[in-house]
Amino acid sequence: SQPLAGRQAAELQSKVVPSKQILHSDNMEMEPETMETKSVTDYFSKLHMGSLVYSCTSKRKSK
Amino acid sequence: RMEASCLELALEGERLCKAGDCRAGVSFFEAAVQVGTEDLKTLSAIYSQLGNAYFYLHEYAKALEYHHHDLTLARTIGDLLGEAKASGNLGNTLKVLGNFEEAIVCCQRHLDISRELNDKVGEARALYNLGNVYHSNGKNVASAGTHDPGELPDDVKNALQKAANYYEENLKIVTELGDRAAQGRAFGNLGNTHYLLGNFRSAVLAHEQRLLIAKEFGDRSAERRAYSNLGNAYIFLGEFETASEYYKRTLQLARQLKDRAVEAQACYSLGNTYTLLQDYEKAIDYHLKHLVIAQELNDKIGEGRACWSLGNAYTALGNHDQAMHFAERHLEISREVGDRSGELTARLNLSDLQMVLGLSYSTNNSMLSESHVVDNSLNGTRPRVGRRHSMENMELMKLTPEKVQNWN
Repeated sequence: SQPLAGRQAAELQSKVVPSKQILHSDNMEMEPETMETKSVTDYFSKLHMGSLVYSCTSKRKSK
Repeated sequence: RMEASCLELALEGERLCKAGDCRAGVSFFEAAVQVGTEDLKTLSAIYSQLGNAYFYLHEYAKALEYHHHDLTLARTIGDLLGEAKASGNLGNTLKVLGNFEEAIVCCQRHLDISRELNDKVGEARALYNLGNVYHSNGKNVASAGTHDPGELPDDVKNALQKAANYYEENLKIVTELGDRAAQGRAFGNLGNTHYLLGNFRSAVLAHEQRLLIAKEFGDRSAERRAYSNLGNAYIFLGEFETASEYYKRTLQLARQLKDRAVEAQACYSLGNTYTLLQDYEKAIDYHLKHLVIAQELNDKIGEGRACWSLGNAYTALGNHDQAMHFAERHLEISREVGDRSGELTARLNLSDLQMVLGLSYSTNNSMLSESHVVDNSLNGTRPRVGRRHSMENMELMKLTPEKVQNWN
């Protein structure tokens, strides 16, 4: 018959591995969020027909 | 010298953020707000960019504050497109903060306005954001719940199914628009949603598409993500060899990209995969690599996990001394980080090991000699046949995906 310690060891071997915890940190890799963007230059170039220089200087004068 | 105008400060903020220095960008935007402007559209653009900068800096409370200002302003001046954008950004921020209900309202607003304006690009982006909110919501409930293995609670399943539907809708539009980058993102998250739903074959199909697009763009981070996600899906399909191949590619790219944290994760996944393959030497090899990086990064939780895994692997090899060493270390770390369940697990492992060691040391000579044979196993003279025989008791290889899917 199997010696006690040997049997204990075998039992120990067989119970350690198939744990539900084994992959508990396998993390899913998500794709990045997309944020909506606004830009002061976009706005000015649209509003002042592409002339940022004009819009900047006119803005400065008006201050 | 003339004082810098609000616009100049904002332009510098934009430049810095575009160059990737959000921290410096924020100071310029905040200075611009201090100077102030009567042009509400300019102010809206500044608020929006401040919100995004704080979002990228992971300061979500601040991000929330500025996106909220932006939304109020856009509504005040009747800028519908601006309102849609602000709503979308607010929705994304609320999602990260875990406020899913409000996040859905905001993202839905983004969607509604985009449809009203017949803005296809905006519509697609809103659909992607909505998918993300439902995905996070589902994942969040799933991890908080105490549901039985094998069954996702209905609310989780519903949220994840909604997420999948939104990603599919998004994919239809971005495919029409020929926007490959957006397709890549949608495939990636759709794959992860299928994975959580337990549709591992569908997950593989989606991540394969993601991989293809990542390669098209030469986007190595996205490529690495796809490999890692494919590895995860193949684990739950029970195809451990294939999983190990994908994790190895993940590891390779993580090293190329010099991302130590990701490298550690890949080593950990490989350690677990080789455990599933019952190749404990390789498992130990990878878990040790993971351990070294976790220590280097001062990641105590990771270190604890590594010790627990190493203890298990050494136990499986019959090397009880090493197993004891790591179980003790696991106990120490669990106490240190206040991980109660880890502490309990470590105690149980230790008492089991003490039982085995105690018996083998305290009985007769034949027992002692047996424990010597086990010790020699480290040097490659392990009695293989005996070990393999005892391994037949293990249920591991018989695990079906249904059984495995709730291991997380």
